[in-house]
Amino acid sequence: MENLLSVQNLTKRFGPVTANDGVNLEVRKGEIHCLFGENGAGKSTLSSCLYGYYRADSGVIRFKGEVAELNSPADALRLGIGMVHQHFVLVSNFTVLENIIVGSAGTGLFLTKSDARRKISELCESCGLSIDLDREIWELSVGEQQWVEILKALYFGAELLILDEPTAVLTPQQSDQLFRILDGMRMRGLSIILISHKLREVMQSDRVTILRKGRAIATVETSETTAEAITALMVGHKVSKHVRDRSVEPAGEVLAVDRACAIGEWGEDILKDVSFNIGRHEILGLAGVAGNGQKELFETLMGVRALSSGGFSLEGEAITKPTSREMLDRGIGFVPDDRSLEGLIPEFGAAENLILGWQRAREYCRGPFLDRRKMDALARRKIEEFKVVTASADLPVERLSGGNAQRIILAREFLHSRGLLLANQPTRGLDVAASEFVYEKILEKRAAGFAVLLASEELDDLLRLCDRIAVIFKGRIMGIVRPEETTLLELGMMMAGDAKDVQRTVQ
Amino acid sequence: MISIQRRSGSSLRWNVVCFSAAILCAFLSSAALLALSGGDAVKGFSALFTGAFGSQNALFGSLAKATPLLLVGLGTVIAFRAKIWNIGQEGQVLAGAMMAYWASLMVGSLPYWVALTVIALAGLLGGGILGLLAGYLKTRFGTNEVISTVMLNYIVIFFLAYLLDGGPWMETGVTVAYHQSPPVNPSLEWPDLFARGAGKLHIGFLFALAASAFCAILIDRTSLGYDIRAFGSNPTALRFRGTNVRRLLLVVMLLSGALAGLAGAGELFGTAHRLRAETLLGIGSSGIVVAMVGGLRPSGVMLAALFFGALKSGAIYMRLQSGTPAGLVSAMEGLVLLFFLCAVVATKFQIVRSNVHA
Repeated sequence: MENLLSVQNLTKRFGPVTANDGVNLEVRKGEIHCLFGENGAGKSTLSSCLYGYYRADSGVIRFKGEVAELNSPADALRLGIGMVHQHFVLVSNFTVLENIIVGSAGTGLFLTKSDARRKISELCESCGLSIDLDREIWELSVGEQQWVEILKALYFGAELLILDEPTAVLTPQQSDQLFRILDGMRMRGLSIILISHKLREVMQSDRVTILRKGRAIATVETSETTAEAITALMVGHKVSKHVRDRSVEPAGEVLAVDRACAIGEWGEDILKDVSFNIGRHEILGLAGVAGNGQKELFETLMGVRALSSGGFSLEGEAITKPTSREMLDRGIGFVPDDRSLEGLIPEFGAAENLILGWQRAREYCRGPFLDRRKMDALARRKIEEFKVVTASADLPVERLSGGNAQRIILAREFLHSRGLLLANQPTRGLDVAASEFVYEKILEKRAAGFAVLLASEELDDLLRLCDRIAVIFKGRIMGIVRPEETTLLELGMMMAGDAKDVQRTVQ
Repeated sequence: MISIQRRSGSSLRWNVVCFSAAILCAFLSSAALLALSGGDAVKGFSALFTGAFGSQNALFGSLAKATPLLLVGLGTVIAFRAKIWNIGQEGQVLAGAMMAYWASLMVGSLPYWVALTVIALAGLLGGGILGLLAGYLKTRFGTNEVISTVMLNYIVIFFLAYLLDGGPWMETGVTVAYHQSPPVNPSLEWPDLFARGAGKLHIGFLFALAASAFCAILIDRTSLGYDIRAFGSNPTALRFRGTNVRRLLLVVMLLSGALAGLAGAGELFGTAHRLRAETLLGIGSSGIVVAMVGGLRPSGVMLAALFFGALKSGAIYMRLQSGTPAGLVSAMEGLVLLFFLCAVVATKFQIVRSNVHA
């Protein structure tokens, strides 16, 4: 079959990070091609290069056999490559019709609506899409707004449509509808690149290219493979170094979460009946695809987000209406997933960041004054102990590498916490050596009797470090399993929400 | 090939180069402006300098002009370091003066130093309350402080206009209404630091010096200063780490407004001796300029306040000597700010010369 798009050896770097590393990709005419991979695997960067938002550092992109010079999204659209973003770009008090034709070339001062209307109606019909062109955007459901985005791209003559995690905002029913529409487009000979990390959607595509750590690992025909095989390719394998000491058994109960629920800005469930407990000498892993409620769970435990119902207790004491101050004072250590936003003051050096949260504690103050001597002594000690590479204790941490910044957070949290450590994606963006250092420190805390909640997208790491692993999907705990009694496949299925057969919980 | 790149650190030498260039540019463009307006640039500048520093009298005059600018500038520093954009200093200066004037009407029977303290505290309170109000609007309703502080300026200005024009504080018994209050009780005027004839410099100057030390210590050495700087850099992390950021915002607005309010009280009781909008308007906006030019550091603000105080003081003499238009000094003030802001940006970049590789 004819290749509509072919990408050869595409590389894209952001500073020291290689987001796409020699990626090859071929998309045929009239196929749904899925890009599949974990967060940070390079899916979004690749698609951004394809629709002209980023310029690849090297590599060749061919469209319809010709080398494509993509310097802007306008270039891509002119060639016939359209993009539908996760966040829609629509004018909410314009009609569907106006939204589609706004920005179209050659209309002069007046928009020729009648021609456009005829053309769009034809498009709708051929894709099996029914939508009232005269309704205003704010009247439409999220799913219908997405159709408008798709129509917009088609109206501008897109032959290749890139959809970035299109079902992230849809209900299951809307997703099914979307896939029927995509099917109709495929029948018309249009090609679709679908970015997803949901197994169920991947299995509806014609072919799937699996990305891992910026590389295209494999391209397979969906009909010739299985969800298990794709999951295995996505997760990959890595040398494990530190493992937990099995001779130390968890005991007691430090943190108990009981049917915690949280509701988002639009009334959607962010956490739904989340229950689990963690004992002394125990690491509870939290596995899940990013954005399934992990962040919110940590935020509620840290007292910066309110629960709508349910609650949790610490050392047997129920916590009602927690504040971040109270949780810090109760000795909870917290390593946030977004360290530069939630864990550090970028303009402060290591010395000041090491006491963030404790800038009024007696250890570092004399009355209202900061005790610089004690702060500096602490900084010297911790920089050495945690092997932080920094020119000085006052060098703003925004100039440090991710790994070094993370060491400062760990040093601070390990110093001030007693009993419970919450670590959300503590190794995100770190290389193997830095990750191992983090895990070593976390295991030390386990040995010292801490209860640890450790969320990670690295399933291998969770399997070797954790006493138990809870899997979260759409704010629900799909099950809690022991590493020795589960498989990557089972975890992967639960993470993708297909957990009906495997849901179980161990104490 | 020569290219301009963002600097990773800061270099003292380059900073000196940038700011020297800014001063030079400001000087040259002011001279050009002076020449364009028909004056003699050399004569004008020498008159300016003589008027600012030429005698002890002149020097004290410059310091007196610098006093309110320093206080407002320090208040601005506290807010701006937290990236809270309080630009309502005009209103806060007025509110401080009004509160102090009101207090002065009631403390006549108190011992002198007690009365003076009460008046100064009332000045702090007046500006502080106005700042606090904008802070409350932000924490309670999410109102942008840039808008609320500016709008509060108008409310205060028109309230003062009412008080002085037909209101309870209007001077009575004169044939022409000057939109001013009667003189303050002479026994409540702020004392001059030096004997009569040595030049007029009121005790507010000492308050401003004390406030400078207070701010420098507050920002760099206290837990509250830590919070203020942290809030300016990353309020989210500060909130995640146990600080009540709403309360912090209120405290910052209170302090920021209070210092502006003290400036107003000082001008009223140390210099003008009667409440009148014209003597107070402009101090707030000049104070913001002083804070920016001073690099949002108390030490820098002291230098900048002295510079702008001298400019204002010398300008009077320059106008008498060389007949330059009054608006020229405001224009010069603006030019200095512009070039200093350019210099601040320039310090963050460097010029790199690199060989082109084949």
